[in-house]
Amino acid sequence: MKIAKYPFAVLSAALFTVMLITPISSISNLIWLNSVNMPIGIFKSLEVLLFDFQRLGILLYGVVIIGFAVAFSVTGLLTKYINFHAKYLYAFAGACAIGITMYLMVVLLFESELLGGNRTIIGKILHWLAGFFGGYFYYFLISKNYDYTFIIRYLGVLYAYIILGFSLNWIFTPDTAAADFGFILKDLADNAQNALLRDFTSFFVATLIFVLLGVVTLNPTWFFSAGIIYICAAIFNLTAVLIHGTEYNLIYVGEIFLGLWPIFLGITILIKR
Amino acid sequence: MKFFLSFFILFFSIHSSTEYKYETVLDNLDDAWSFVFLNEDTILFTEMPGKLKIASLTNKSIINIGNVPEVAYSSQGGLSEVILDPDFDSNNKIYITYSAKKDNKKITLYLSSAELKNNELVNRKVIFEANAFRRSPAHMGAKIAFLNDGTLLLTSGDGYDHREKAQKLDNHFGKIIRINRDGSIPQDNPFISNKNALSDIYSYGHRNMQGLVITGSGEIYEHEHGPKGGDELNIIKPSLNYGWPAITYGIDYSGAVISPFTEKEGMEQPLFTWIPSIAPSDMIFYEKDLYPELKNNFLITALVSKDVKQININDLTTQKSLFTDLNFRLRNIQDSPKGYIYLLTDGPNNKLIKILPK
Repeated sequence: MKIAKYPFAVLSAALFTVMLITPISSISNLIWLNSVNMPIGIFKSLEVLLFDFQRLGILLYGVVIIGFAVAFSVTGLLTKYINFHAKYLYAFAGACAIGITMYLMVVLLFESELLGGNRTIIGKILHWLAGFFGGYFYYFLISKNYDYTFIIRYLGVLYAYIILGFSLNWIFTPDTAAADFGFILKDLADNAQNALLRDFTSFFVATLIFVLLGVVTLNPTWFFSAGIIYICAAIFNLTAVLIHGTEYNLIYVGEIFLGLWPIFLGITILIKR
Repeated sequence: MKFFLSFFILFFSIHSSTEYKYETVLDNLDDAWSFVFLNEDTILFTEMPGKLKIASLTNKSIINIGNVPEVAYSSQGGLSEVILDPDFDSNNKIYITYSAKKDNKKITLYLSSAELKNNELVNRKVIFEANAFRRSPAHMGAKIAFLNDGTLLLTSGDGYDHREKAQKLDNHFGKIIRINRDGSIPQDNPFISNKNALSDIYSYGHRNMQGLVITGSGEIYEHEHGPKGGDELNIIKPSLNYGWPAITYGIDYSGAVISPFTEKEGMEQPLFTWIPSIAPSDMIFYEKDLYPELKNNFLITALVSKDVKQININDLTTQKSLFTDLNFRLRNIQDSPKGYIYLLTDGPNNKLIKILPK
């Protein structure tokens, strides 16, 4: 655990920073939409914030992990030679990592500012600040010793983050969510649409809640509950293909993956106890 | 409703192209972007790095045209569109669009006119400079077309980083512009009396418009690249707001929400939406007889779907995919004076392909 805490601290600090960064673009966008008299209310704001956190956040998460991994490794070496408060060094490294990463994204990848919230000076400062707090959080994580529950909780939160995306899709944009599963929602009869929407939404929201409860309580039953649902989905997916003659699809691969993940967490808790 | 319509259209797209035969008439072009026919066997074409050339389609000879303006060639910028003056036979006048730096600083879109004489551009002058300065040449638009009254329409893209400015009338980001052939502003332009608007603006709220045609009856059709999803075909009318980026059917390349709205009163809905994006790059309205099955159809080249979308003007809800077996990203489409269709592929070492009728 002593060795593992560094990479998991990078992953956790990156996730924390992404949670700070994504609302910058979302809120700046919402402010602009409001300025052109678009009817932005609480529900629409929530929709934008949550969607950005899920969709934009996943892209940013990968980018920030790379930036933080490099910056904190270098800072770890520097702390051996520089007699200065390590927490401020890591915080500064976090700010630099975000600033340089955002700059390189423009120069090397897109020649345009991909992040709407990073187009203004204020937006850039807020991104650096998010990196600063990310670095500080990293120091906070590595300055303490943790047991296995830290990794369990991290992987649980990451899992919930993925399931959150499916849940939001079914809550806010069911047409798109249905299309991802290969059918046109509006083609169905009203009753069928209703059944599909409530069942799919319940499916994802329930498993999201199960895993979050597992993260909070570390009770393996919650993780097993989520896992069993997805494994059942995979089994009955294949049953539908083999017995009822529906078209073969690869969704069961994802279902097995999403089923085994929380089951692995639950088993780990049982073994460690 | 539009989502449903788009998925329906996507689902029922018909892929039929094997009945056509192809002939590569020019090869190894240097990022050629647009072309126009001087006669049945000769074209004038642009290459993005800043070359304007005349090519014979019979003996394949290519001549460089001199005195072409210096361009900012990178990303989506460079020498873009070329068209002939309606009176080209008598005045030899052509019009070109290009991205260039102003005072070696920021980049914007220019429209120049010149006379084509002895393989040189003479009397070249800038007749329009877009008030749309940007750091990198992204989303330039740069399409031009003549209206039936002899005035010019020009598309000026939103510059990607400046998308919000498409909703403001004090700049040229995300606008269709209407000017006279000498660059002056027609007095019947829709915003001529609006002191808060640039008087050359014809319509606004656009993204990156790379298809612009005027039908024989004078209607203006335009298509534009959406973000991730949400490419649009629009009918353009003066003074109207086409919504970008306040309403859109797409999301940002990063996955971020651009707008949670797809419609609003006072903002126009597209005639047709492509989800997912096909990246429409050019368009003609085919009115000749050589391919009877294509008559009165829009033919839209696409970069991502690597085909030509055929949409009948009388049925804008269905499309066909043509020439799919070519499997090239397609940049430009033109019909020759006799009616032959030619396709220009995209990118470096691109080629010009002639479509032979069935």
